[in-house]
Amino acid sequence: MAFSKLKESSWRELLLWLSGFRKRFRVIGTSMVPLLRPGDEVLVNPRAYRQTVPQVGDIVVSRHPYRVDVRLVKRICNILEDGRCLLEGDNPSDSTDSRSFGAVAPQRILGRVTSRLPR
Amino acid sequence: MNTIAKIKEWFPAEEVEAHCDGPCGVYDPAAARINAEAVLSMTKKILALEPPAGSDAKAWAAYLNTMARYIQIKEDQAHKAKTELLVLWTDYFKPQHLEQHPDLHDVFWKAAKLCSACKVEVNLEKAQELVDTVKKVHSMFWATKGREVTFYTAG
Repeated sequence: MAFSKLKESSWRELLLWLSGFRKRFRVIGTSMVPLLRPGDEVLVNPRAYRQTVPQVGDIVVSRHPYRVDVRLVKRICNILEDGRCLLEGDNPSDSTDSRSFGAVAPQRILGRVTSRLPR
Repeated sequence: MNTIAKIKEWFPAEEVEAHCDGPCGVYDPAAARINAEAVLSMTKKILALEPPAGSDAKAWAAYLNTMARYIQIKEDQAHKAKTELLVLWTDYFKPQHLEQHPDLHDVFWKAAKLCSACKVEVNLEKAQELVDTVKKVHSMFWATKGREVTFYTAG
């Protein structure tokens, strides 16, 4: 699996955020290191999968399958025939993900991470 | 990008977890430890239980009843210990952890075998060895998180 890069937020991204088309989240934990460090902030497009389907390699924010109050940021590493996604951290030795909790239904995905705010 | 830094500070964003072990707390070797300790405790109790001297039916019924209960608890707890260990082995530990603990598979294999041996036999040495092996699992588990956690035992 090729780890795609994540762009730093452009002015366009910031404008989209200011006009409500992006949600801002702060990352805690190290399962997405080196791409995302603890304390990094990302912008998420909640409407990303209205027209298109999730793609392998996308970085997404998803609800935890068993803990609705927990939101995860992970990468989609595989998509099953029924459309459910397998999520994995870029830093698998410090990540609890689909290897433990199994596939995640697409409805649980809250959006695609589109950029990272400057550090 | 000073403005962004100020925005981050003044308007804190919601959090997303780039791990979930912490908040979930799904995995913990403590359960296996409690089970293994119960196996050791029941083994001791079985060995210490004196049969009645005479042929009093009531005394024998009480003796057999107590013995059966000890045996059943030993059987159940050894099985639970094995289940807990297998969950840690197959769900929690990842290939990356093998590099840190090359003997990981050996330890789990031995621990699972000891659970079985403790069911089949009434063997104090093996019950103690089971607790000691669970302690090794405990140490490996917390080492993967870079933490040192004391192995508390009830006995």
